[in-house]
Amino acid sequence: MPNIAVFIEQRDGEAKKVAWQMINHARKITDASGGEVWGVFLGKDAGNNAADAGSWGAHKLFTAIDENLAGYNSELYTTAVASFCSANNPDLVLMGATAMGKDLAPRLAARMDCACVSDSIDVNFDNGFTIRRPVFAGKCYTDVNIKSNTAVVGIRPNSFNLDQPGSDSATAETFDPGIGGVTPKATVAEVKATSGGAIELTEADVIVSGGRGIKEADNYKMIEELAGVLNAGTGASRAIVDAGWVDHSHQVGQTGKTVSPNLYIACGISGAIQHLAGMSSSKCIVAINKDSNAPIFKAATYGIVADLFDVVPALKEAIQSLD
Amino acid sequence: MKIAVCVKQVPDSETRINLAEPSAELDRSGFTRVLNPYDAYAVEEAIQIKEKLGDDTEVTAIIIGGEQVMESVKKDCLAVGCDKAIRVTDELDNAEALQIAKVLTAVVKRDGYDLVLCGKQAIDDDDSQVGIMLAELCDMAHVSVVTDLEFDGNNFTATREIEGGSEVVKGATPALFTCQKGLNEPRLPSLPNIMKAGMKPVELLTCADLGIEVPAAHTEITTYIPPAKRGECKIIENEDPAAAAQELAKLLREEAKII
Repeated sequence: MPNIAVFIEQRDGEAKKVAWQMINHARKITDASGGEVWGVFLGKDAGNNAADAGSWGAHKLFTAIDENLAGYNSELYTTAVASFCSANNPDLVLMGATAMGKDLAPRLAARMDCACVSDSIDVNFDNGFTIRRPVFAGKCYTDVNIKSNTAVVGIRPNSFNLDQPGSDSATAETFDPGIGGVTPKATVAEVKATSGGAIELTEADVIVSGGRGIKEADNYKMIEELAGVLNAGTGASRAIVDAGWVDHSHQVGQTGKTVSPNLYIACGISGAIQHLAGMSSSKCIVAINKDSNAPIFKAATYGIVADLFDVVPALKEAIQSLD
Repeated sequence: MKIAVCVKQVPDSETRINLAEPSAELDRSGFTRVLNPYDAYAVEEAIQIKEKLGDDTEVTAIIIGGEQVMESVKKDCLAVGCDKAIRVTDELDNAEALQIAKVLTAVVKRDGYDLVLCGKQAIDDDDSQVGIMLAELCDMAHVSVVTDLEFDGNNFTATREIEGGSEVVKGATPALFTCQKGLNEPRLPSLPNIMKAGMKPVELLTCADLGIEVPAAHTEITTYIPPAKRGECKIIENEDPAAAAQELAKLLREEAKII
């Protein structure tokens, strides 16, 4: 009868969708095996989270409301979640494999001396938890068994589908985060947003990426324009990041971001193994390249063998004229 | 200032994983091994800090593994400016992050480093855990995924990458940072420095020397699974690029149903 705690990440009070995805999935496990799903919320105001967590399947929502927990601080958040765990002994703690979750999970697992599994895509329970996750940026997957009494598991956003919300509400409880005597050794002084409101690649439903085929930095505009009509994030191959044409935050691949959008459009990208590793779990892949032997076509769902300078602007117009 | 850089040797990013079906083991024998690319940013940052602060600063590269890891330590750490290296020789290949962090903790506590630098993740396990765990076990501040790092005496200002932006984190040493691409441009070793690197001191240690047992694992990898096979690529054959683009848009709407 596993009890599963789900850390509900919030920024500026707004919960991340991945929290509801995890609660929804955890509820399927407890419906089959018994046990409860517990939302864990840290912040300065509980807001609507009890109703939301309940509608997605949480039995209880545990909140620690404190001005010092309004924004992320690794040490205070570690102490707060560890306090929750020592009072309630969940069998599993799930959190999003986000910038915050990836920072918090290892510190928490080291504090609790328990298993830590990063960036996972599936969780199953059968007399113990088995976690599936990619390694080598997705060139291979592993199934991991948990041997400690509890475990901290990071879940990649969009790994679980969201069902329709129900009408249940979670029982609201509070807990003592135990941060009274803690002076953090480091603090977040400022959170800056990237100008232009760029769509974060790891959260994007559609990504349009450019590679060396765009020939020069200025032509990346063409990628951005196609992305614009698709409300897509813009990606890049390592080659054009290393050339300084595009910022590293756009790099897709083994030394960049691993992405799995519904649609990935690769423009002028040959498909080096380290790039394919980072995007080949995308649901649909479109390759536009003038070299019919480019390895990207082996990964692609649809391909056009032609000059991207002809195809990309035409595709933008074709998409605009749909409807 | 005493700086430690924790590094790992990993299969090169061009490595192909040949796995036909799910298997309890992964054959790693044919892999070309290199310094983890993110660790190169940690090494470079340590050397730049030493260059700024002067010769009182000492940079030590710490690695766990067999004799074969020394090639990366010599070429990519000692030859570019680290002063010495420590290699923990216990068999911990494919150990989980917390086991590694516990061993590194014993080294860091023994030597008392002011600053510890790591890569933001190793490109084989993709865990992004070791550095942050090490900071916790050493009771240090940490900042992960750092793209900019400045010091004013013992006080640091670090910028870390988050979704759609960045966080500016302030604190004081002792502290640990995990380094992201963009932090700096790692230098390449010169041939004479590669030759000289062989003369720099390398301390060999075991867990027993550090007064700890080899840490036990909390997880077990039961199966390695190849990625799902993708279907054949449907090539849109049309001499006219505009017509091909229209056909593609239609397929994405009507067949794939994703736009």
